[in-house]
Amino acid sequence: MAIKKNTKRWLGGIFAGLFCLWLGFVGYIDWAMRQPPEVFGHVMAKMPMPAYFLFPFETMWSDARKGSLDMGGKAPDFTVKTLDTRAPVSLASLWIDKPVVLVFGSYT
Amino acid sequence: MAEQYKGKVDFYAVYILEAHPTDVWELQSNVRDKVLFRSPRDEEERASVAGACVRKLGIKFPAVVDSFDNRIETAYTGWPDRMYLIATDDRVLYKSKPGPFGFHPQDLAAALQKAVGTPNQSRALAASSK
Repeated sequence: MAIKKNTKRWLGGIFAGLFCLWLGFVGYIDWAMRQPPEVFGHVMAKMPMPAYFLFPFETMWSDARKGSLDMGGKAPDFTVKTLDTRAPVSLASLWIDKPVVLVFGSYT
Repeated sequence: MAEQYKGKVDFYAVYILEAHPTDVWELQSNVRDKVLFRSPRDEEERASVAGACVRKLGIKFPAVVDSFDNRIETAYTGWPDRMYLIATDDRVLYKSKPGPFGFHPQDLAAALQKAVGTPNQSRALAASSK
């Protein structure tokens, strides 16, 4: 009986410790997801693939990257250069005449 | 989709900072597909990589390049990829979830249908017959 109680306490302690470690790990990943992309990239580059399955990546990512611009909100304007001529253009001028789809991305 | 909505909606690629540059977070898929670029050191290098991207991927619609301080990416949270539909009165009509998981062209198609109606029929048929 005493041995069983001790075993239970021992196992409970192990699980509690592991749970705290997991919480800390998830907290670290959540922090990284909210950093600039280069910082996040450096963190993820060091992470082994199996670790990706230890936290709810997609849910956390969607929350971390939701941004402050909401549907119905005003799209901000910036001066940007076109790729073909490198001429500066106002981003807002792109949607003066008709709606615009902006596709953000990169080659890599 | 850009071709189907030609005349009703304009499409623009907004080229932003690299998702998986070789000096930060290179993936096996980058190696496999030979898409290996370091983080650009200035705007011109970013534009050069953007040009390679547009050519290799056959992107037919125009592209703009984010400034080197990544102001547009920061404001629109565009990294690594994302889509927006913006109305003529500056309102955001559609904002995709962040990529890679949230990049769903079919959701954009639904938003376009709601905003401007069905795509041009003749173009849709021509596009589907190719």
